[in-house]
Amino acid sequence: MDIKVLGTGCANCKSTIALIEQVAKAKGVPVTLTKVEELRDIMGYGVMSTPGVVIDGKVVHAGGVPNRDKIEHWLSA
Amino acid sequence: MNARVDLPPAREVCSTTTRRLIADGALLVDVRERAEIDRLAFDLSDLVIMPLSELELRVAELPRDRALVLACQSGPRSLKATYFLMRQGYEHVASLEGGIFKWASKGFPIKGPPVATTTPAAEAVSAGECGSDSGASGKCGSSGAGTGASACCETAATASGKCC
Repeated sequence: MDIKVLGTGCANCKSTIALIEQVAKAKGVPVTLTKVEELRDIMGYGVMSTPGVVIDGKVVHAGGVPNRDKIEHWLSA
Repeated sequence: MNARVDLPPAREVCSTTTRRLIADGALLVDVRERAEIDRLAFDLSDLVIMPLSELELRVAELPRDRALVLACQSGPRSLKATYFLMRQGYEHVASLEGGIFKWASKGFPIKGPPVATTTPAAEAVSAGECGSDSGASGKCGSSGAGTGASACCETAATASGKCC
């Protein structure tokens, strides 16, 4: 599963990455996690509020740290 | 939700170029929040106030058949707004590099108290959101406080920092 976290390096972006890593490890789901920090690349996804999360090319979240349940749901799909 | 679109580098223009573009018919779009505008505003007869927080909802109000120059306090938010409009298919959009602070430091018309000629160290990309001053690369390098005839500059957002 290819996961990208969109954000310019703020604390919420770091928390989002850490939480996704935690949940993926707990569930034993292999993920490739990438940070996207360039504004132009972020805006290429049309995300105005960060952190944004992109899974397999699709934006699934924008704005604020996603909660654990939401991440578990993504990783179960 | 959204698939990725590969956007070209945004066009960034300096205050002098912005003034010329406005004289040629471009519309200035101020994306700062209303409280900021109450403190300091562009003194132009024709401009649109569309705070970044309202842009997604109100974007359709912006004309597609007219050049737009987006402006904020010092540049990062208008750059973000410029990319947003580019993604929406707007073709003639640019971001005012250095924002209203740079505009004011050039002695161009403002409403409000005089401002310092130096821009603040950082302007968050958007209020209430993470992000540091991501538009800060390639600043205009004016050496003095608005003396001297200013050369114009125009640069792409990702180009290495050549400016006026």
